[in-house]
Order: sequence, then C-alpha cells, then structure tokens
Amino acid sequence: MTQAEIIQILAGFVGSIGFGMLFNIRGRRLFMASIGGLLSWALFVLFSKCIPSEPVVYFIISCLISTYAEIMARLLKTPTTTFITTSLIPLIPGGSLYYTMVHAFQGDLNTFLPKAIYTMQLASALALGVIVSTTFARVFNKVVNRKRNKT
Amino acid sequence: MIKLFGYAMDIGEQMLISGAEVHRVEESINRMCQAIGAVRVDVFIITSSMVVTIHTNDGNTYTQTRRVTNINFDFQKLHCLNDLSREICEKGLTAQEIEKKLAEVKEGKRFPLWVEVICYAVIAGAFTLFFGGNTIEALISLFIGTVVRICLFFSEKIISNKIFNKFFATVIITLSAFLAVKFSWIDNVDKVIIGNIMTLIPGIGLTNAIRDLFTGDSIAGLLRSIEAVLTALAIAAGYFLVTVLGGVLL
Repeated sequence: MTQAEIIQILAGFVGSIGFGMLFNIRGRRLFMASIGGLLSWALFVLFSKCIPSEPVVYFIISCLISTYAEIMARLLKTPTTTFITTSLIPLIPGGSLYYTMVHAFQGDLNTFLPKAIYTMQLASALALGVIVSTTFARVFNKVVNRKRNKT
Repeated sequence: MIKLFGYAMDIGEQMLISGAEVHRVEESINRMCQAIGAVRVDVFIITSSMVVTIHTNDGNTYTQTRRVTNINFDFQKLHCLNDLSREICEKGLTAQEIEKKLAEVKEGKRFPLWVEVICYAVIAGAFTLFFGGNTIEALISLFIGTVVRICLFFSEKIISNKIFNKFFATVIITLSAFLAVKFSWIDNVDKVIIGNIMTLIPGIGLTNAIRDLFTGDSIAGLLRSIEAVLTALAIAAGYFLVTVLGGVLL
C-alpha cells in the first residue's frame, strides 16, 4: 500500500464518521458504522489491484459490506440501513455524479454520456450488492426461524 | 383498537421521515397491525404518502393515510422506533404506554449546530484529501465547509425548498473556491469543490433509489431517482452560474 492509499483510507474513515454524526448515529453504533467505511475503501484498494473493472469491484465490496452491516445490525439490534448507508459512503459515486452534471451543462455529449453511464453502473453495482446480501440475510433468517420452531 | 391503529401509523410515519426504506416501514406496520388484532392488513407506501387499511375480526374496516413531506436522516430516532415497534409486537403495550414512548422518541435529541458545523468541515476536508487534494486544499475545504453549514442554517430558516438550498450552497462553495484560486492559494478548484459537494450530492439518494427499484417498490424508486437527478441538476446549475459569471468578473 502506498502512502496516498493509506491517506485515502483514513480520509474515507473520517468522512464516514462525519456522515454518521450528521445522520445522528450514536455510541457504539457510530463506531462500528465508521469502521465499515474504513473497511469498504481498504477492500476497494485491495481488490482493484487484481480486478480491472471498477463496477465489478464495487459490486463485490457492496455485497461484503452489506453482509457486515447485517451482522452488526443483528448484534447491536438496530435497522441495517444505519450501517449500510454510513459504511458505503466512501464508495458513493459523488465525484463521478458531479462530473456527469458538469459535462451535461457544458453540453458536450462525448464526455457526458460515458460519464453518465459509468455513474449509473457504479450506483447500480452498489445497489445490487446490497440487495443480494439483504436477500441472503432474509433466507438465512427464515431457515434459522424454521429450525427454532421445530425444536 | 382505532387508537392503537393510529399509533402504528404514527410510528410508521416517523420511521419513514427518519430515513427507513419503504420496504421496512411496510413490514413494521404490517406486523404492528397484526399484533393489535387486525385480520388483514393492506399497506401501500411511497416516499411521500402512506395508505393503510385494516380489517378487524368484527367485520369492520378502517383506513388511515399520512402525508410525508420531508425526509431527514436520523438513525438514532429510527433505532428507538424500531425498538418500540418490536415491543408492540412482542409485549402488546397499551395506548397510554405507546403514546408516552412515542412522545419521548419524537423529542429525541440531535447534535447541536456547532457539532454539525464541525462535521460539514471535517467531511469536506476529508473528501478533498480522499479525491487526491493536497494539505492546503484540504484546509481551504475545511474552512469553506464551515461557512457552508452556517449559511445553510440561515437559508433553511427563510426558504424551505431543499433543492434551492443546495443550489445556494453550491454557489457559495464554487465562489469561495474560485476566490481561493484568484488569491493563488490553490491552483485548481476541482478537489475543493468535490470535497465540499459530498455533503450535498445525492449519491446516497441515487443508490437508495436504484435499490428501491430493484426490490420492487417501483414508484418510490422512481420518485427518489427524480429527486436525485433534480438535486444533481441544481448543484450543476449553481456551479455553472458561478463559473460563467466568474469568468466574466474575475
């Protein structure tokens, strides 16, 4: 890991704490949610070295982080959204969305369209990853409940 | 029974306001209504409105609707509401108990303004570094973030339109960034603007919108996508206005 990457990971962590506080998360939940933010970018740095497509990396990390969020939500007895929203902050395609809109206003279709498609790819990859792990969590819950009811 | 139904609606409404997904609210209302003795529950929720009809044992049907105007992320409140709805399902609280607890949750404290100011500043500084800015750019972002939150505090008091407030905030950010370049403190506005815009940009909104669309809440998803696009347009417009005018004046 280079120095720039470590700075990025730490900055993502601090940014997640900031957003967590804006969302009024408190105590242990704030800490665990921000750790999620740290994890998400650390994983991104790690995975983007071996997988060339950014949307695919986004999808994988989104799956892993949402699983982390589901586990934390069970442990700390709070809605999963708390952790998902805060932990994915460093991955949110804010910069990309910004450039898309700037290109749109400049009226340059050649730069606007690829950027817009790219932003949608990233956002969809994130959303899909969240859905995949939420669905798995539901199935898992059902199985556990059924076993409990039998015994 | 009707009173309890009303409280279930109130809890659902507050959950939606504090940023729960449509799906979760529907599920909670469903469970609560079944716990208070409804035989059949029909829930329809989109981000701005709730319609719930319950059928009771004695053959009566009741319908209530709620209009939800502004959604404001507050996960502490959501946490308490979640606990409350779980308690109703498991223990079956009386109307007075629910009323008391709901009032407590509604009054729940948020961080004071100065903490939010620091949060805005820190987020702006952190994301300037994140997107590759240097220390001086980060410090300037930190300062602009402080100014933006204070300006937003006043503009939110006068104008309730969220999208316009974001437009206004972007104008301030871009203007300050260009002034910083003008005084040659920094070479490039990009990193400073992106860092600051992170608190305004509808990235979370866009992701949640797509998530709603995939889970099958199409109308809620579409409403959220349109809101995200409009917000992004307002931010771009604010940026564009200052860039064009700044090119003429500075």
